[in-house]
Amino acid sequence: MRFFVYLFLFITLLLTSISFILPTKEKRQFSDDALRVAALSRNMSSTPATYDDLLKLVDTADNKLSKEKIDLGRDLYHETMLSKDKDISCATCHVLSKDLNDKNIYLKALTSQTNNKTDCVVCHLSDQSGTDRFETAVGHGGAQNPHHLNTLTTLNAALAKYQTWDGNVKTLEAQVGLSIKDPFQMNLSKEETVKRLLSDTEYVKKFALAFDEISFENVEKAIGAYLKTLITRSDYDKFLDGDNDAINAKAKKGLAHFLNFGCKGCHTGVTVGGQSIQKFPLRDYNSIVNVTNSFNEKDKGREVSNFNFNAKMYHSFPFENKGGFMGKDGEKLFRVPILRNVTKTSPYFHNGAVTNIREAIYLMGKHQLGMNLTHEQTDEIVEFLKSLEGDVVNYEVLNKDVL
Amino acid sequence: MKNIYMKILIVLMFFSGIFQFSIFSLSWEYFKLVQAIHILSSAFIAIFFLIPYVNKHTYEYMIIKRTKSTSGVILGILLFFIVASGFYLFFIGNPGGDIIGLISHYIHLYGSFILLYFLFLHAKKKIDFNTKSFVAIALLLSISYPNISFASEKLTNIVLEKGALRYHNEDWTNSTKCKSCHEDIFNQWADSNHRHLTGSNPYYMVMENLAGADMGDEFRQWCMGCHNPSAVTTKQKRSTHRMDVNNMPSVLFEKGSQSLIDEFNTHGNSKLEQGVSCVTCHRITKADSKGNSAYTLDLTNRKKYVFEDSNAGVKQWLSEKFINSNPLIHKQSYSKEIYKESAYCASCHDEFLPDDSKRAVVSTFKEWEKSPFNNPKDPTKHKTCIDCHMTYLENGKLAPLKGQSTTGGTMKKDVKVHYFSGSNHFLSGLKSKEHEDQTIQLLRTSAEIDVDIKNGKVLVGVKNVGAGHHLPTGVSDFRELWLDITVTDRDSKVVFSSGKLKEDGNLDTDARPFMKVFGDENSEPVGLLFWRYKKLLSDTRIPAGERRVEIYNILDTKNLKYPLNAVVKLNFRIYPQWVTNAVQRAFPQLPNPPVVILEEIQKEFQSQK
Repeated sequence: MRFFVYLFLFITLLLTSISFILPTKEKRQFSDDALRVAALSRNMSSTPATYDDLLKLVDTADNKLSKEKIDLGRDLYHETMLSKDKDISCATCHVLSKDLNDKNIYLKALTSQTNNKTDCVVCHLSDQSGTDRFETAVGHGGAQNPHHLNTLTTLNAALAKYQTWDGNVKTLEAQVGLSIKDPFQMNLSKEETVKRLLSDTEYVKKFALAFDEISFENVEKAIGAYLKTLITRSDYDKFLDGDNDAINAKAKKGLAHFLNFGCKGCHTGVTVGGQSIQKFPLRDYNSIVNVTNSFNEKDKGREVSNFNFNAKMYHSFPFENKGGFMGKDGEKLFRVPILRNVTKTSPYFHNGAVTNIREAIYLMGKHQLGMNLTHEQTDEIVEFLKSLEGDVVNYEVLNKDVL
Repeated sequence: MKNIYMKILIVLMFFSGIFQFSIFSLSWEYFKLVQAIHILSSAFIAIFFLIPYVNKHTYEYMIIKRTKSTSGVILGILLFFIVASGFYLFFIGNPGGDIIGLISHYIHLYGSFILLYFLFLHAKKKIDFNTKSFVAIALLLSISYPNISFASEKLTNIVLEKGALRYHNEDWTNSTKCKSCHEDIFNQWADSNHRHLTGSNPYYMVMENLAGADMGDEFRQWCMGCHNPSAVTTKQKRSTHRMDVNNMPSVLFEKGSQSLIDEFNTHGNSKLEQGVSCVTCHRITKADSKGNSAYTLDLTNRKKYVFEDSNAGVKQWLSEKFINSNPLIHKQSYSKEIYKESAYCASCHDEFLPDDSKRAVVSTFKEWEKSPFNNPKDPTKHKTCIDCHMTYLENGKLAPLKGQSTTGGTMKKDVKVHYFSGSNHFLSGLKSKEHEDQTIQLLRTSAEIDVDIKNGKVLVGVKNVGAGHHLPTGVSDFRELWLDITVTDRDSKVVFSSGKLKEDGNLDTDARPFMKVFGDENSEPVGLLFWRYKKLLSDTRIPAGERRVEIYNILDTKNLKYPLNAVVKLNFRIYPQWVTNAVQRAFPQLPNPPVVILEEIQKEFQSQK
């Protein structure tokens, strides 16, 4: 007995003294400038501040930007004629005001008799986030997306290499056309689109200015041109451009984590994402027998067939697989989401199953990086992501040819 | 086992026990550890060592050797009582309302001294404490030094005052935790307006968003200071609400805050409880009457019992047992004398614009200060906020509720109920009829009306008899209190009417609501945007104890056919229709608030005076 007491005392003394003697590990700290250099060297960059810089990034030979095109695109983006029932426009789901300087948009929506914006969207109008923040996209006739996918933001989409959740679409223009034709979105055919626009004298004039004729391709190009101007600039951009005080110390720590932990491996480029297609989840911790709903309450009985076993050995995602979408080619390959404005675009992941950004960060750390992030690290990364939140830049659009 | 170890264990239990005695005023860091160690080790020792040892010892000496030892017998009896009372304190506890619990407490405390005395008497001949054992005890105690054994303590050492940046979600103990012992109070709070100040309050969510859109997102903090303190202290920029796929969840109609309970069970404290939770009010340490959320919160320096914050089953169960067995510190941590004073409520129930003008938006506390209800010299007439708003009502009268605020706790003569009855019968009434009933009863104690018809004029008097503040108070630009008058003649023809609702639900323009109207710099009414308030356009509210006479002209005085019959109602509606219309744009499931008749009189006038 006495032996055990002494042994116990010895071990506890040993352990406590060791914990005091061992030096605490020095953490690698970036200075502000070193952090900037590190970020820039890892292929991250700020969004263009001027129209000239924007052109260098987004202008393509087959859809040269011009003021007329952009103005026409803006009109079309907010045009409900482009949907089958003439009730929704691009801006219905990709919520954005026509006049971004209009501060009274929310008050007007609450008090005017004619405004058709109701329910959740109305409060999020002033977010100007380019998405409706629903868990699943709602289109023509109130139809929900068949895969339970939620609406992606149109902001900064022009700077991404791939479009949509699975990255199957390469250009903005192609995506515009698909969205108009999709039976779960605008559900309007090519021919009908052109026919409707031809019957509107205003549009005939505008198309004549921007293009030579009204065609579906030109509709795609015009809206595409407008989308290319929907670029946001945030405190993070100011930091990358040299302002050390633009983001706070916590956000800087978060950025350092973002670089150190390997988040930037995929969430990279000017958009902090959208540049590649990657597997999710990379690491599987989901091989747990799922016994939820294993008994069907509706038809109680003794027959084995009445037991609705859900004993799958495998979960596809670390959250509920609503809609059953499995990514590109069913291989769980997804376009890496753009993290700019991520704080304004909840809920998270393709089916919106995660509402909380901290939970989303934790899941990404666990399943993509194999790390269990601490509360503190998660907080710091949240702070960094908040610094990515910005407003659409009001570019001074000038026509190059005219000058 | 040797006798000496048994003695050491008993002495150890004794010291760890009496150190909890209040005269030692042990610092909390040590107290909570000593308590947990005392309880857990005593239970362990009693079951595995002490009881088997005593059995064996008694058998050996009394049955086999037939030794007669009076001190031994007394010691045995005492030991039985100490162990029994200890287990009682652990499993059932001493929450206050249970006499056996109280007796157990005293037996356990004072009995232990007697036990120790008899223990020394019994073992007098062979006391041989060797120094090594004492060293062992000292070392055992020293390794339970709080900083080493409880590393998590550091996480909660943030102070919100100077130097501290923020609280963590985990600091905000979810109100669901309080439910297990304070179920009645929890249920009262769960459907009250204090609980539903943020995400589940459609009017608030719309107004906060509007304020953010109009004045910039930073301005939301002004609203959130009182409506959402947990979000402010965790540095959130806005209030948020729950979603149920693409729809708002139906928390508007949900009884007992079930969604909060569910959320807590799934996420624990990691998901922040927004709004005014239990700890918000019960951890305010200082509150001056300045208004605009002028209170000091102290979540981190709470005296927490061991495992108090844990959500894991066994630990949570144990923490409840620790609290229940000696709840004094728990009471002191969460209840303070200032909670009874009106100045405490003033920190949020006085509200002014956050600019140099400091224009008063809500001044309920200042109104009370000037009212006859504020009479500290005469305690019989002095009535503070909680005397009306946290007192139970029955049959239209304040009837202090006799009962317990803790399950198994002390019987109280006046349980301070947490319905927080005020004027908003509507939002709490959607969830619980009990709440609606309490609030309407309170509303109906507030005013008296009288009517007279003289010289072709209808005179209606309204007296504020029950409220210790103006009538209405609070956001009185959004409250409708008005007179609904109908005068009919001999042929039942309506000769005068006022204060009816229009078809669209709005109050007719001839009505004279008792309210404040705010105007902007151009003297235009501010409508929803009350923060644009620059000029007070009108203030027709009735101060405490005062009577207001409204005079109406009957147009056609010559052809009046007596007798006249006057029906006068004092009507109240919590939000005007145009406000509800705006909110329904964002929350289509919100019903229209009903009109409540506070007073109704009918009087016949036989002939002209």
